[in-house]
Amino acid sequence: MLFAGIHASRRNRANGPSKGQLMGNLAPDFELPGLDGKKLKLSDLRGKAVLLNFWATYCEPCKVEMPWFVELQKQYGPDGFQIVGVAMDDASTEDIAKFAKDMGVNYPILIGEDSVVTSYGGVGVLPTTFFLDRDGKLIAREFGLQSRSVFVDHIKKALSQGQAVQARK
Amino acid sequence: MRVLLATALLLFSACACAQLQDQPGPAGPTGPAVKMAPAPVVTIVQGQPATVPLSFRVASGYHINSNKPKSEFLIPTVLRVEATTDIVIGKTTYPDGQDMSFAFAPDEKLSVYSGDFQVDVLVRPLKSVEKGKYIMRGTLKYQACDNSACYPPKQLPISFDVKIAKAATAGRKNPAQSPHAHQ
Repeated sequence: MLFAGIHASRRNRANGPSKGQLMGNLAPDFELPGLDGKKLKLSDLRGKAVLLNFWATYCEPCKVEMPWFVELQKQYGPDGFQIVGVAMDDASTEDIAKFAKDMGVNYPILIGEDSVVTSYGGVGVLPTTFFLDRDGKLIAREFGLQSRSVFVDHIKKALSQGQAVQARK
Repeated sequence: MRVLLATALLLFSACACAQLQDQPGPAGPTGPAVKMAPAPVVTIVQGQPATVPLSFRVASGYHINSNKPKSEFLIPTVLRVEATTDIVIGKTTYPDGQDMSFAFAPDEKLSVYSGDFQVDVLVRPLKSVEKGKYIMRGTLKYQACDNSACYPPKQLPISFDVKIAKAATAGRKNPAQSPHAHQ
């Protein structure tokens, strides 16, 4: 109920600048280092539905979503779903790693860069979450904390879209 | 001191209220979530410390962490005033945060500032400082959130004037007189 209220108010905020330029197009590609220093390239995940979550250690609403993401990764991972977190704060990599470990995060966390944020139209609100279909196209974006059901809806949609899905049929 | 505070509040009502229309928008606040009221000019005697009260207002719908947040990961509100060669900046006193719960974590209490809050800065001019008006500058670092999202940390530039007055010169003491001296 509580989050339904938040959800309703946030839905009204979802039409941010440059949404039209991003949605339906290929997600801007990037390569960022993870907590272990190994780089991950977004386009290497092509064929999977991706939830791209920009967050920060100082962001309390982001903390609320993380346990859901852990569950959703377990639930939909076998179907070809991948969550990628991008940490957007000044904290050290060690602190971010400690935070992620405390939260039991089971998906890759990357260290964000301003250039990546800019390519996504700027992320002035945390959390901001993008959903990519299996072809790497952006199909949805959400600002701020959402209800779990919103994520599930977008994940199902992302899993069902893309040429990779059509080829299987 | 009471007169100074009253003046600051009055100025806040007249100026800051009109400016603080920054409701949460699609990509975050359209302006700073925190603004400073025009600070009263505090007169300080050379060589003597004095407290300068600085009044801030957090825009409606937002909160910022107090100076002592409850988690190591939260970014505290910190005021930094640049010291000059002749004016020493002493202790900065922050108010206690309000313990508040928010919709995103109703079972958790955060130590925050919302609405109006005041930070006191101790200023001590050296005895050698020339009398006159001086502009002090600094920044208030804060990180704001609303009920369902957070915004990157910001540095709000701040400034206030202090008027340095000359210390009273030690006058010649009257020699002790006997009550019967004029008899």
